[in-house]
Amino acid sequence: MLQYIELTLKNLAYQKMRAVLTLLGVIIGITAVVAMVSIGAGMSQAVEEQFEAFGTNKIIVTATQSLGATGQGLTDSDVNAIEEVFGVEFVSPMYSVSTGTEFKGEEKVATVWGLDPDKAERTFSDVGGYNMYAGRWLQPGDRNVVVVGFQIHDDFYKTSIESGNKITIQGEEFRVVGIFKEVGDPDQDSVIMMNIDTLRELLGREDSVSGIIVRVKNGADVDIVALRIEERLKNRHEDAEFMVSTSQQLLESIKSMTQVIQIVFGGIAAISLLVGGIGIANTMIMNVMERTPEIGIMKATGATNNQIMKIFLVESGIFGLIGGSIGIFFGYLISKAINVAAETYLGPNLLVTAVTNDMIMQALGFSLAVGVISGVYPAYRAVKLDPVEALRG
Amino acid sequence: MDVIRLENVEKTYIMGKVKVHALRGVNLAIEKGEYVAIMGPSGSGKSTLMNQVGALDRPTKGRVFIEEHDISKMSDNELAKIRRENIGFIFQQFNLISRLTAIENVELPMWYAGMSKIKRVRRAAELLRLVGLGDRMKHRPTELSGGQMQRVCIARALANNPDIIMADEPTGNLDSKSSEDIMEILEKLNKEGRTIVMVTHEDEYAKRAGRTIIIRDGRIVS
Repeated sequence: MLQYIELTLKNLAYQKMRAVLTLLGVIIGITAVVAMVSIGAGMSQAVEEQFEAFGTNKIIVTATQSLGATGQGLTDSDVNAIEEVFGVEFVSPMYSVSTGTEFKGEEKVATVWGLDPDKAERTFSDVGGYNMYAGRWLQPGDRNVVVVGFQIHDDFYKTSIESGNKITIQGEEFRVVGIFKEVGDPDQDSVIMMNIDTLRELLGREDSVSGIIVRVKNGADVDIVALRIEERLKNRHEDAEFMVSTSQQLLESIKSMTQVIQIVFGGIAAISLLVGGIGIANTMIMNVMERTPEIGIMKATGATNNQIMKIFLVESGIFGLIGGSIGIFFGYLISKAINVAAETYLGPNLLVTAVTNDMIMQALGFSLAVGVISGVYPAYRAVKLDPVEALRG
Repeated sequence: MDVIRLENVEKTYIMGKVKVHALRGVNLAIEKGEYVAIMGPSGSGKSTLMNQVGALDRPTKGRVFIEEHDISKMSDNELAKIRRENIGFIFQQFNLISRLTAIENVELPMWYAGMSKIKRVRRAAELLRLVGLGDRMKHRPTELSGGQMQRVCIARALANNPDIIMADEPTGNLDSKSSEDIMEILEKLNKEGRTIVMVTHEDEYAKRAGRTIIIRDGRIVS
C-alpha cells in the first residue's frame, strides 16, 4: 500500500495546479461539513443545557385559548385545583404580557411576567440563571415593585436602571428592588417581574393566568402527576384550552428539533462535499485519459487489472483524505471563530461549538469515502483500456 | 521446445464499419534461444503479429502458445501474468513513464510481481549498470538521450528475468551509433539463451538475426 501512496504523491506533485484545484473542492466541502455540524451540535447542546437547568421535576401548564373560544382560559381556580392534585408540591401561577414601559421619558415595549410573590423565589430557586446581581427577589406583600433582568438594567434604556429607580408600566410607577445576574439568553435577560395581582389589575384581567408552573414532590412520577393534572383540568374545561407538558417532554421535543437542524445543516454542507467529489471524479477521468499510454505501459509490463484499479483508487482516495484533513483544520478554525464571536456578541456559554474527536474521525472517513467513490468510475475506465490501443495513445 | 507457437491465428478488427483482417491464418513456431526478425511493409500485420506473440492481445481465431500456455482463452489478469513473467518488451517509442526516474521505471514490473522494495532497488540498479547506465539511475527520461532511454527500456524488460524479449523496432528512433549499442545488447541477451523477437525495417539488422520472417497482407510469406 505504501508503494501505491508513494506513486500517487509523485503523480500529484506532477500536476500541482490541478491537484490543488481538485483538493480545493473537497476542502471547501469538508470545511463546511465540520463547521456546520459543530455549530449544530453547539446549538443543541446550548439549548439542552439551558433547559436542563430548569429541572426535570417541573410540569408546565400553558393556556392555549384561541380567539373565538368560549371558555375563559386558565384562572386562579385552576391553580387551586392543581394544587390539590396528589404528588404536587406547589403551584406557581404566571401571567406574561408584552407591554409599554417608560423610564426617564423613554418608552419601550418589554416582556413583563406577573408572579405570585409568595412563591416566586421558591419556584425559580432551583432554576439556573435567576441569581441576584443586586437587590432582592420579589417578596410576599410586594405590590408596586419589580425585579428586572440584567439587560433591562444595563442597556435596555439609554440610561441604565439601578436598584431604587422607578419605571412606569401601564401608567403606574414601580420601584426596582432587584436585578438578576446576566445569563446570556436575551429573553431571560430582558424580563421584568412583578406581583401577578398588580399586573392583572393593571390590565383588567381579573383572575386569569397564562401559565402555571408545577413542582412535583420528590419521589413522585412526573408523568403520572402530569396525567392527573390533565384529567383534573379536563373536568373543569369543556374545550382543551390548555396544554400540560413535563419538562422532560419539552426537552425531548427540543432535542428532536435541534436534531433536525443538525441534519439540515449537515445536509447543506454535504452538497458542497458532493461537488468536491465530482471534482475528484473529473480530475481522475482527465488523469486516466492523459495517462492512457502510461496505463498501456503498465499493462504491457505486467500490471494486473486489480493493480491498476488500486493505483487510481488510492490516488482519488488520497485526494479525499488530504482535502479532508485540510478541510477539518479550516472547519475547526471556523468553529473556534464562531465560539469567540458568540461569546462577544451573545454572551458567555450561550453557544459553545466544539469539534470532537469523533467528528474528526467521521469527517476523515467521510472524505476518504468520497475520494474513493469518486475514483471508481475513472479507475474502471483505466482497467477497461485495451493494452494495445492504450500503448498507441 | 517451442517457446512461441501460433496455430492458424486470425485477427480481425472492426474499424468503424469496416472489418480489417490483420492476420489471415498465421502459423509460426519459435524455438527457445532463437533470434527472429520480423519484417514487412507497414500495414502488413507485423504489429498485430507482435501483439499476439507478446500476449498483449488474444487472437480472433486460432491458438497462441507462449511457453506452452495457451493464451487464446486467458483472462486479462492471466495475460498480465504471462507478460510480467515470461516476456520483456522493448518499444520503438521507449514507453518510459516520464515522471519516474530511470531506476523507478525499471522497478515497475518487479513492483507488479510483488517484489519487496529493497530487492527491487537492488536488482534495478544491477540491471541499469548492466546496460551501462550506472551513473544515470536518478535521471528522468527527459534528461536522457534516445540511446540511454532505450537502454533503460531494456533494463526494464529484463526486470523479472523473462525468457522472451520482444523488441518492436528498437532502433527506429535512434542514431546509428546508439542503434549499434542496442543491437549488441540484444545479441548478448540472445547468447545468454534468451529468445529474441524483433520487428525491424532495416535489412542490415534483420540479417544479424538467426531467422527472418516476412509478413505481407496478414500472411507469413517466408
